[in-house]
Amino acid sequence: MTERLTDFGAIIRYGNLFALEAHVSVMAELLMYRFFFRVCFIIFATITLDPHIEAGAQQPAPARKPSAPNARVFFIDLKDGATIPSKIKLRFGVENMEIAAAGVATPNTGHHHLLIDTSLPPLDQPIPSDFNHIHFGGGQTEAEITLPAGEHTLQLLFGDQAHTPHQPPVFSEVIHVKVDPVTVEKTRTPAPAGASVFLIEPADGATVARKMTVKFGLSGMELSPAGTSKPNSGHHHLLIDVPLPAFDREIPSDLNHVHFGRAQTETEVTLTPGDHTLQLLLGDHEHLPHDPPIFSKVIRIHVADSPAEKAPPAAAAAGRRPAPPDAAVYFIYPTNGERIYPNSTIRFGLRGMGVAPAGVVKPNTGHHHLLIDVETPPLDQPLPSDLSHIHFGNGQTEKKITLSPGEHTLQLILADEKHMPHDPPVISERIKVTVKVIRPVRKRYRR
Amino acid sequence: MIVRRGPFAKAGSSMIRMVGLALALTALHIAPARAESTSSAPGAVVYFHSPLDGARVPQRFTVKIGLKEMGVAPAGVVKEFTGHHHLLVDTDMVPLDQPIPSDYNHIHLGNGQTETVLTLPAGTHTLQLLLGDHQHVPHKPPVMSKKITIYVR
Repeated sequence: MTERLTDFGAIIRYGNLFALEAHVSVMAELLMYRFFFRVCFIIFATITLDPHIEAGAQQPAPARKPSAPNARVFFIDLKDGATIPSKIKLRFGVENMEIAAAGVATPNTGHHHLLIDTSLPPLDQPIPSDFNHIHFGGGQTEAEITLPAGEHTLQLLFGDQAHTPHQPPVFSEVIHVKVDPVTVEKTRTPAPAGASVFLIEPADGATVARKMTVKFGLSGMELSPAGTSKPNSGHHHLLIDVPLPAFDREIPSDLNHVHFGRAQTETEVTLTPGDHTLQLLLGDHEHLPHDPPIFSKVIRIHVADSPAEKAPPAAAAAGRRPAPPDAAVYFIYPTNGERIYPNSTIRFGLRGMGVAPAGVVKPNTGHHHLLIDVETPPLDQPLPSDLSHIHFGNGQTEKKITLSPGEHTLQLILADEKHMPHDPPVISERIKVTVKVIRPVRKRYRR
Repeated sequence: MIVRRGPFAKAGSSMIRMVGLALALTALHIAPARAESTSSAPGAVVYFHSPLDGARVPQRFTVKIGLKEMGVAPAGVVKEFTGHHHLLVDTDMVPLDQPIPSDYNHIHLGNGQTETVLTLPAGTHTLQLLLGDHQHVPHKPPVMSKKITIYVR
């Protein structure tokens, strides 16, 4: 019921042009508002330029002025069926008659009226003045209009000093145009002052391996996935080897413009050896940069051509099970850099795959392996089983371990039923934890 | 959550319709009317890493599941002290001597998943975890979490 009422309101507010477009999408709605205000402005300007408009409109059937023989009006440089940008400057031509501002009663003159998405009005009455009938009472011969995406019709109708068509009427043919949706300007989401994005890793000028982890930071705003419209939020876009794109368009999505629509804060990228640039640009729920745009400074990195990095793909053949590309294993507890107690429960998280005990053959599953204080082992062989490579062959997802005080590294690797890492390997970052020196119990302070 | 009420706003209802898709499950289940229960490990606990009780979450959020003293195995795998997770959404506890139903309110994580992405309409919802054995039957004694309440904005 409410929706019907609002729809009816829409018809009143926007006129036929907009009622036709009803229910397109929320995005279209935003465009409509924009267009609505723009057209309002044009009409306001027309009315200001034309003091006689109301006097003319109130006369019931004024005498129609004769038009010149062979008189015609037409669009200059606009062909029927053309695809046009959303914002376009239209130029109006007239032949065998002269342009005069509204109210000027010189014979053989008149002024243009642009009809958008509407048929000819009654020709014996003043041309209506609304969003579909735009008056150029100042004698303008060009106008910049903004149309929403989609198909539209345009037509010119010449009117005399009282906005009444001549006798016989002078009008152009109907031009059908199609507005290219790519060119439609969207409303940019405002960003708070002082918000910034920055690259945490790698550092500017760093030399890195071909496969590297890039970590993003954001301050003064919140992260939200693409499609979630929430004030003061956005998601990261990593620009690799490209300058900043246009801020009034959607950020392109390709190999050089990587979107993180799930609000990720880090990613792994593989780059060719050589020099590269990285830059972050925050986009809103529609991948549109904010206003003002939030982007990081450009950092330069050098990718080293290390032979070790080339080895894994070569050895990938021998019986490794495939893993989905978005699968990830990570520590729920502890996190990198955390101080933990000597007896701590390490909790494993797994995204995009399932857990299965060792020996169970099932696609997209595996079991956890916790690596303590060791380097990442070769990933093309079954994982060793010893005190520093702990297997969780029963499908456990957490484990209480005892560590000596001091610094330790922890890493998780998922492996298949034969303890062989997947391809690509599902492996967590190697985190550092500090085990607290335990004080005597009586002094221990607990919350 | 503020639902836009404008002539062109239709976002709200389509989001709700997406819930069905998001909850679509692969776990088929053919089960006997009454199955024997598998015993659970002593001290086994299933719990939510996230969201926590009373949390405010967006419409699309990840549920992360923790399991203590037992292991995770995909449905169909017979192994002592293992099971797979079931997420009960907006529903009461099911009979514990029968296979857990499979529908939008009873989400089976039959591939041994320990987290899943849920899409729920705005409002208050309840979530509860229940471990099921290879035949989707709760263990004996049952391994279940407390029922938590979340607010989807």
